[in-house]
Amino acid sequence: MTTDITVQLDRVSKSFGDFTAVKELSLTVRAGRVFGLLGPNGAGKTTTIRMIVNITAPDTGTIQLFGGKIDAAIQDRIGYLPEERGLYRRMKIADQLRFFAELKNMSRNEIEKRIDEWLARVKLSEWKNKRSMELSKGMQQKIQFLTAVLHDPDLLILDEPFSGLDPINVELMKEIVLDLKRAGKTIIFSTHQMEVAERICDDICLLNRSQKVLAGSLRELKSSFGRNSVAVRCEGGDGVLDDPALVSKLVRHADEAQALLAQGADAQVLLRRLIDSGARIGKFEMVEPSLNDIFITKVSEHA
Amino acid sequence: MKKFLAILKREYIQRVRAKMFILSTILLPAVMALFGIVPALVLSIDAGDPMRVAVMDQTGKLYTRLEAALANDEPAAASEQTDQVRSMPEMPARIFRLEQVPAIGPDAGAQRDRLEERLQNKEIDGYLILPPDFMQQGNAEFFNNNPGDLFSNRVLRSALTRAVREQRLIEAKVDPGTRQGLFQPIQLQSVKIGDAGEAHNAGESFALVFGVGFIMYLAILMYGQIILGAVIEEKETRIAEILFSSVKPFTLMMGKLVGVSLVALTQLAIWGTAFSAFALYGVSLAKARGLKFNIPGVPFVYYVYFALFFLLGYFIYATIYALVGSMVTTPQEGGQLAMPIILILVVSFYLFLPVSRSPDSSFSFWVSMVPFSAPVAMPVRIVTQTPPFWQIALSLLIGFGTVIGIMWIASRIYRVGMLMYGKRASIPEALRWARQA
Repeated sequence: MTTDITVQLDRVSKSFGDFTAVKELSLTVRAGRVFGLLGPNGAGKTTTIRMIVNITAPDTGTIQLFGGKIDAAIQDRIGYLPEERGLYRRMKIADQLRFFAELKNMSRNEIEKRIDEWLARVKLSEWKNKRSMELSKGMQQKIQFLTAVLHDPDLLILDEPFSGLDPINVELMKEIVLDLKRAGKTIIFSTHQMEVAERICDDICLLNRSQKVLAGSLRELKSSFGRNSVAVRCEGGDGVLDDPALVSKLVRHADEAQALLAQGADAQVLLRRLIDSGARIGKFEMVEPSLNDIFITKVSEHA
Repeated sequence: MKKFLAILKREYIQRVRAKMFILSTILLPAVMALFGIVPALVLSIDAGDPMRVAVMDQTGKLYTRLEAALANDEPAAASEQTDQVRSMPEMPARIFRLEQVPAIGPDAGAQRDRLEERLQNKEIDGYLILPPDFMQQGNAEFFNNNPGDLFSNRVLRSALTRAVREQRLIEAKVDPGTRQGLFQPIQLQSVKIGDAGEAHNAGESFALVFGVGFIMYLAILMYGQIILGAVIEEKETRIAEILFSSVKPFTLMMGKLVGVSLVALTQLAIWGTAFSAFALYGVSLAKARGLKFNIPGVPFVYYVYFALFFLLGYFIYATIYALVGSMVTTPQEGGQLAMPIILILVVSFYLFLPVSRSPDSSFSFWVSMVPFSAPVAMPVRIVTQTPPFWQIALSLLIGFGTVIGIMWIASRIYRVGMLMYGKRASIPEALRWARQA
């Protein structure tokens, strides 16, 4: 059952009444990769995911999973952590995990073993027999994550998995996701936080207003955009950085600024102008554009 | 199927383990016992000595008759006393101790003053004056210091009535045999002629139908709201979407419905057992006192029908609660929307009467086919004038088909509502959702 392609969408559209949530979307998720489904809120990410996990059906277009149409058996190979998620408040943690695993047709013995393993992994073993209402929000989130991975799915779909987690737990979860990838699982990762995606995704698909803006390997995308961004730290020379002929967009951070070069502008020219203006330069470095920059550039091109 | 069972099991175990369930299951029989046993105990407490009553019988004929009538409360008394009194638990026997005071002659007024004095001194608890024209006018006076004692008053009045009647009959020269015959209560037994010509007691079956209908009504009132809550649970806790990546909404809904229903049946079975135990205890007590009891002579197949229609009625209304649950986001909203359900239920329940009056009419036929009224109407028809088997089967088929149909619609509405991050759905919206999805 191993194919190179885990999920394939072909010209998929879905609308609710007058509202088009997803329009003519085609994308390919390769096996064993982390695929980022990115875009601002309301871009159609969640609807796309729901169609993949068969919660709702596309109006037109086809979706293939593991090389076939989705059915109950394939559904059992998917682990899904929706953005809207919760737990049964009065149910014990072990009971909940067992329930969700049973719904994935997992065998009894296997379930017990894996519950212990996974609780240890997220450092919640001593909470095994507590009710979920006794857990903190962060702990509940980790348990919700476990409901998605407990049955050892081949395809893991995570919708905004890190929102609301503290940095330590974000690191823990990221490690787990990367471990799963190393174990050959395919992961679809949906978020509007570009910085997070940038650090773990191999491939991405950017959505905006129900449509695909761009897709491909993150590496290739970045290099195709070229190094047209400059990280600058300097005193003075403000007028130069604000010149629209040279800099199309300027983002100021605490002690440095990131300047996106205008179309046809040369970094050398910018440097010379800064020196001429008498600015003292602490740092001047060509950098890759951030995913966020790429996204904004692309979206403004389309508009 | 495995997933359906997983949902059913979770629903059942979580609910049966809940403290509320355990508490209410134990509490109801306890309360029942309390209400059944305590009043009987209280009433049987012999509150002091018998009531001492002095009787001034100015007619000169009634004293012995009154004494006899009081001593021997039954059987003539049974037809006199109101049902209320009769249904009271066994009363302490002979609560009166009579004493005759001479009343003939000119000193009647003085006698009366002496009685009043004795009453004040608490030597007697009351005195009864039967004036000379009592046999004609029927007005007697009973003086006592506790006029609020309705029970004693009633017993006394009834005994007096019997004494007077007896005396009048004697004066009319009616012979003793005829006299006795006059008071013999009659027995009316309603007997139904079955298909095979065998006779059995229709009244008992009828009571049973009524009982089953009533329990159904209670079960729906009690568990409808719980089913509504169960359906909303995953929306409120936002688990629905996780579940829907594993199971179909229909499986989820059916699992919940059946799970909660098994909880209901568990509770009813426990209560039923407790109730039967009380009833058996009561019957054995009554038997010990020499009363006769019959186990209702109802054919076995009726029990099967009753069970089937009980389940049908329960499920029909339970699924409507599930349907309401699929449209709303909080149990409060659901409660309001569920009001009309109760109304339909009550109306269906009252169809009992017209159907029992003319079980063969086409009206009866149709209401016993409509799923909402069939659970009451069809059993009534079965015990009154059993319809052909195909009608019973058809009624059940339509009913359980409707259950599945409603659940199917409910699960579609549920799914779309969830996808819409829904606020509560209006009825037209819900209809549209049921069509799309």
